[in-house]
Formats: sequence, C-alpha cells, structure tokens
Amino acid sequence: MENVGALSLILALCFSVYSVLASLIGQWKKRPFLVVSGERSVYAVWGLVTLASGMLVYALQTDDFRLSYVAGHSSSTMSPLYKFTAWWGGQEGSLLLWAWILSCYAAVAVYLHRHKFCHMMPYVTATLMVVQAFFLLLIAFPLSPFEVLAVGKEVTAVPDGRGLNPLLQYWTMAIHPPTLYLGYVGFVVPFAFAMASLITRTPGDAWIHTTRRWTLVTWLFQSTGILLGAGWAYAVLGWGGYWGWDPVENASLLPWITATAFLHSVMMQEKKGMMKVWNMVLVSSTFFLCILGTALTRSGIVQSVHAFAQSPISRYFTIFLALGIGLVVYLILDRLDYLKSESQLESVLSRESSFLFNNLILLASCFSILWGTLFPVISEAVTGEKISVDAPYFNRVNIPIGLFLLFLTGVGPLIAWRRSSFESLKKAFLMPAIGAVLTMLVLAAFGVRHPYAMISFGLCAFVTWTITSEFLKGASAIAAKSGQNLIAAMVELTHRNTRRYGGYIVHVAIVIMFIGFTGAAFNLDTTKEVGINDTFKLGRYELKIKDLKSGNNGHYKWWHAPVEVYQDGRQIHTLTPEQRLYATGDSSSVVDIRRRLHEDLYLNFAGMTADGQKAVIQAYVFPLVTWIWVGYWALLFGTIVCLIPSKVKLQFPKTKVVGVVSGKETPVAQS
Amino acid sequence: MLRASALVLLAALAMAQVSSELITPEIRRIGSRLACLCKSCKNTVGDCAMLACHYSKPARERIRDGQAAGKSDDAIVAGFVTEHGRQALALPPNDGFSSLAWWMPPMMVGFGLALIYWFIRRMRKPAVPAAVSAIDQKVLDRYKESIEKDLAKLD
Repeated sequence: MENVGALSLILALCFSVYSVLASLIGQWKKRPFLVVSGERSVYAVWGLVTLASGMLVYALQTDDFRLSYVAGHSSSTMSPLYKFTAWWGGQEGSLLLWAWILSCYAAVAVYLHRHKFCHMMPYVTATLMVVQAFFLLLIAFPLSPFEVLAVGKEVTAVPDGRGLNPLLQYWTMAIHPPTLYLGYVGFVVPFAFAMASLITRTPGDAWIHTTRRWTLVTWLFQSTGILLGAGWAYAVLGWGGYWGWDPVENASLLPWITATAFLHSVMMQEKKGMMKVWNMVLVSSTFFLCILGTALTRSGIVQSVHAFAQSPISRYFTIFLALGIGLVVYLILDRLDYLKSESQLESVLSRESSFLFNNLILLASCFSILWGTLFPVISEAVTGEKISVDAPYFNRVNIPIGLFLLFLTGVGPLIAWRRSSFESLKKAFLMPAIGAVLTMLVLAAFGVRHPYAMISFGLCAFVTWTITSEFLKGASAIAAKSGQNLIAAMVELTHRNTRRYGGYIVHVAIVIMFIGFTGAAFNLDTTKEVGINDTFKLGRYELKIKDLKSGNNGHYKWWHAPVEVYQDGRQIHTLTPEQRLYATGDSSSVVDIRRRLHEDLYLNFAGMTADGQKAVIQAYVFPLVTWIWVGYWALLFGTIVCLIPSKVKLQFPKTKVVGVVSGKETPVAQS
Repeated sequence: MLRASALVLLAALAMAQVSSELITPEIRRIGSRLACLCKSCKNTVGDCAMLACHYSKPARERIRDGQAAGKSDDAIVAGFVTEHGRQALALPPNDGFSSLAWWMPPMMVGFGLALIYWFIRRMRKPAVPAAVSAIDQKVLDRYKESIEKDLAKLD
C-alpha cells in the first residue's frame, strides 16, 4: 500500500513536470494537442495526489503502524475523526494536504477557464504545475509520508502510535489547518493568472475580474482559517488569548493583508485602468508570502510553538522563493510598458487617493509584522546578538496602524470617485465625526480612561455612522421610488450592487471585530489556590468551588472543579473546568466559559497544589470578546454577498481619446 | 500504566503550587519588561499564563526575591540582562542595530508616503488648457452629460 502511495506521488511529479513542458512547448510551437495534453495532465496529477492522500488516510484509519508517519501522529485509541485529522497533524502529511488542495484548485481552474482564456491558459497551467511540482518533489523524496519503519532490511511496526497532541483534538483545530490551507494555496491561482497575463501581455479586464473572484474566495478561506485558529487558542489553550503574535500566526496574517490590499486596489484597475504594476506586485507578494509562511512553519528558521520539527527543507524553499521572486521582478520590469496606466488621477481628494492610502497603511502593517517576525533572526545574523521581539512590540507598532486603518474604513465610502470638494467632505464627515466625539465623551463620562480604547470606540462609531448612512441614503431613494419598506429597499439596494454593499458589510464586520479587540483593554484575571467551599472574587463575580472530582475513562484521567458563579449574592451559573492527563503523559485543560455579549467569564483548571487538597484556578473576565466571533459571521455574510452577481449589470466605461482639437493637442475624450 | 500516569501527573501538577503568590501587580510590573524565554509563547514574564512555565515561574520568584531585598525595578531587570543578554528584554532596545526594529516601520511609511506623493504628481491630470474654450459649448455640454451618466454608474 505504501508503495502505491509513494509511486502515485512520483508519477504525479512526473505528470506535473510534463504538464509544464507540454503547455509551454505547445504554446510556443503552436501545437494545440500538446497544450491540451498539458491541461489533461493537471487532472492526472489531481487523481494521483488524491490516490496518495487516500492511501495515507486509509493507513491512519487502519492503524498501519509500519508507516513512520502513522506511528508518529496517530494511535489506536483515537477516534476516526482525529485519525483523519492526523493527515495534516505532521510535517509530511500537511505538505501532502498542501499538494492535494493545490491539485484540486489547479484542476478546477483549468476546467473552468480553459475556453475563456485559451491563449493564457498554457501559462496558467505551467505556473500552477511548477508550484505543484515543487511540493510534490518535497513529499516524493525528502519528506515522504509513506516512509516505513524498518529494522535492518525488514519492515517492522510498533504496537501503537504516539497519537495526536491532545490540544489538537478539538473540532476547530480539526478544520483550522485545511481551511487555512484553502486560503494559502488558493492564492496560487490569482498568481498564475497574473503571470500568464504578464507573459502574454494580455490587456483587458476579464482576467483581472476572474482573479478578483478567486482572490475573494481564498481570502474568505484565509479569514476563516485565521479566525478558527484564534477561536481554538481562546477555547483550548487555557490562557484566554486568541492572538499571540507567534511567527506562524503572523505568517498566516501577512498574505491576508496583502490580499486585502489587492482586493481594494484591483478596483482602481477595473474602473480606471490604473495601478497595474502595483496590482502585479500585490498578487505576487501574496503568493510569495504564502510560500514564506509555509517555509517558516517548517524550517525552524524562527522559534514558534506552532512549528513542525526542524527539517532540512528550508533550503528548498529559499531556492524556490529566490527563483520565483527573481522571475517575477524580471517580468514586471520587462513589461512596464504594457502595465502603463490608462487614465490619470484627477484630484488628491478622490476615492482613488483613499485607496492609495489604504494600500499604504495595509502594507505598513504587513511590513511591520514581517519585520518584527524576522528581526530576531536578522539581528542575530548581523550582530550576533539575540533580541526578543514579542507581543508588546507588535501591539505597540500595530495598534496605531490598525486604528488608522479603521479610520480609513469609514473615510473611503464618503469620498467620491474622480474628485471630491472640501465642502462635500465637510458635509459628509460632520455628523460621523460628531458621533465619534460623542461616543468618546460618553465613555469618558462612564470612567473609561484608556486612550486607545476610547479612540477605537470613537472610530467604530464613526465608521458605523458612515456605512449606515450610505445604506440609508440608497435605500431611502429606492423606498421612495418603489414604495417598498426600508428593509426591503436595503435588500434591493444590496442586490443591485452586491460588490459595493457586500464590501460595506465586510467593513461593518471589521468594526464589530474591533469592538471585540478593544475589549481586551479591560481584561481582568486572577489565579487562586482554592479548596472545596472556598470563594474568591473577580470583578463583579463571586466564585465558589463546589467540589473537586477525579476519575479515569480509560483514555485519560480527569479532574473536575465545579465552580458556582454568583453575582450580587445570586447564583447565575455553574462552570466546570477540567484537567486531563493522557496515557501518553500529555496533559490538557478543558476550560469552561460563560459567554455573553458584554463579557466572557473564563475558568481554567490549571492543576492541583502539591498536597492535592486545593485546585489552582485561573479566572478571567474578557469584556466584549464575543464580538470578534460575531464579526466573523458578518464578514462571512458580507463576502458571500460580494460573490453574488449584482442584479444590475454595471459597466465602467473608460475614457479614451477620440481626437485632438486642431493645433492645440488637447485631447477630446469619449466614453 | 496507571501508576506511571499518576507519577507523571504528580510531577505535572505539583508545578502549579502557590502560583497566586507570584502573580501580584508588583511582580507583573517588572515582569512586563521581561520576555518569557520559554520558546513556547511570545508573552512577557508578567503575563505568561503557563503557571508552571520553566522560565516565567523562576523569573517571577527572582523578581519577588529582588523586591523583598529592596532592589529597584531597573536593578532587577539589569540582573536578567546580565544573565541572559538583551534577549531577556520584552522590547528591542532602542539603540544600535536593534533600534532598527523601531525605526524601520515608520521609515517604510515615510517611503510609502513619498511614493504616493510621486505617484500623485506623476498621475495627476494637467490643468485643462485655455484652448478647450475654443470648443463649441454644445459639444462640451454633450460630453459633460455623457461623463455625468458614466459617473452615476461608477459605483
């Protein structure tokens, strides 16, 4: 079986290399059959990688402990679900998942676009298959998931496997890696289209429109993956944090930021034919940051709790990144003429300019995170001195950047395309600004003194006002015309231009998330050693330990501490945090959380005191944290709205020169 | 197996003893200036949530002992730097090469602003020359109307 799996990967590698060659030679030599065979090889690669993945999953489900990977990441006591998730629980398996998702994306992209972009597709196929071949090379040879355990020349097996880390046996962690990979890997498709357009010097908007949709879908997966990881950290790790600025977390955020910048700046290209070079840079950066993120997780270059064991693959990634970046830079520089802007900026006070600033701030955030992540490595390489760049650094640098981005989220919709006047801006900004100031004053009156929190809440009010007024303005006009009620008119308005109003919903989602992030300024926590019937206070809560229980279910030993929660002398809840000890020696906490919209009460059973008489309880109050998860659902909804075709087909005619006034060389434009 | 589990459990759980004594505002104040060097988190000694952390727990004990001995905050922090180097600090020092950690992000923003300024200057439409007035007003009106129609569709 392992031979079938390993052979499938080697064959898939051969097919992907063939696909690259057939596509390119077919296009250069005008041999359509070669191009078609290159496309069909993509399907063959998908079939073979699917077969290999199926083999690994089968080995995991049947406890085939002859395979080193199965013995290292699964055990006979694990449930079938977690045996399945062990597919991506280790280095080799997760790279196989990468390759499989890429093969799926490649097959879908080739199938969907083979006719529409027939002149570009050979290069799209070649680019996709170059990346595919790179990952297949890794898992076919140095990091094969089908390596067997052997004593001398004899294949052997261990009685049972090590199993998956108990912390990873949680539903969000079961789907977090594949979702994140759907994001990471999906960015390869827009990159492939960008490369094909560069190579073929393809003008027009069709491919950029397609690229935008791919980017939006993968951006949604990336957002979901990041939020699932945050949700897992919050609910499982026992410290109540959802973001720790770990290098691997940062690596997942970097391509998300550049993709966000691309989704904004691509509008400039679609509507005005501007920023073509910049969009190429953003699409390419997003792809290379995905590869860098994958490399950081696996190479041991930076210290991370998430990282897989150190392996020698960093040199492969370095070579791949260097060659890829070199080629892209060459292509962009060589084709600057084709990337020339089709129109000009008419005013500094315009939506176009706001996109420039939006991109600048997004890129500044991306750079500061990348810089902070790599700085310890750079510092050690240059000066030999180790420097820590931890969460306080990232918070200090990124909170102001984040707040400015939040501000721009509200400003963008208020500024008209082409040009705005100071007067119109004053009129548009006045009420939202008053709303923001009023919010801050009310907060100050209620005793809030945290400066960043006040600014953040003020900006949330500002953005909410601007977006709500945009919806109301449009919906009122429709309601007045059609006689519909305001809600129906809002639905109609959104349906007429799903992209614009879906985007606004996503902006609202970001505001909701910022409310959740800002709540962290008011977190409370305490740690107590408490026996049965002991009480302690945290904020407005009084907590009483009702009992201390222990038991063994055969899979792990457990300790419960039922804790009664009182507020104003009245019992409002009972929380039961748990501590588990697995047969493998791994221990884990199962926190219990009383979730409410205004705050979460979060209890972690950290352990027992040495005398075994008292439980060590970590108690936290996290104000507003639930709004982060609410924000995600709004983001999901808004992105789906963006993907729905608009009811009214919008066209964006571009200005073109049709003549020149005699002798004066003043162009006369026509749409 | 159970006996082995119980032994491991004792070892694991005994680490959680007397944790609350080490999580006081005074210890946190100094702990927030020190990086947790356990390699599992990116927190400070002040807010590392792992009670049995092999770095933060002894570091907190050391802070508590230093405070009990009447040492100043700076002296306690300096003790950690002497032992572990400047990686013991939670924030990169703002001197020498490590100051680049602080200066590069604003420098990049400045560079970006300069780039935008250059872009706007380069891309900005030149003012309409007087020759345009020679165009028939009716023609101009027709184009203006067409432009307004396009603009209405832009969003």
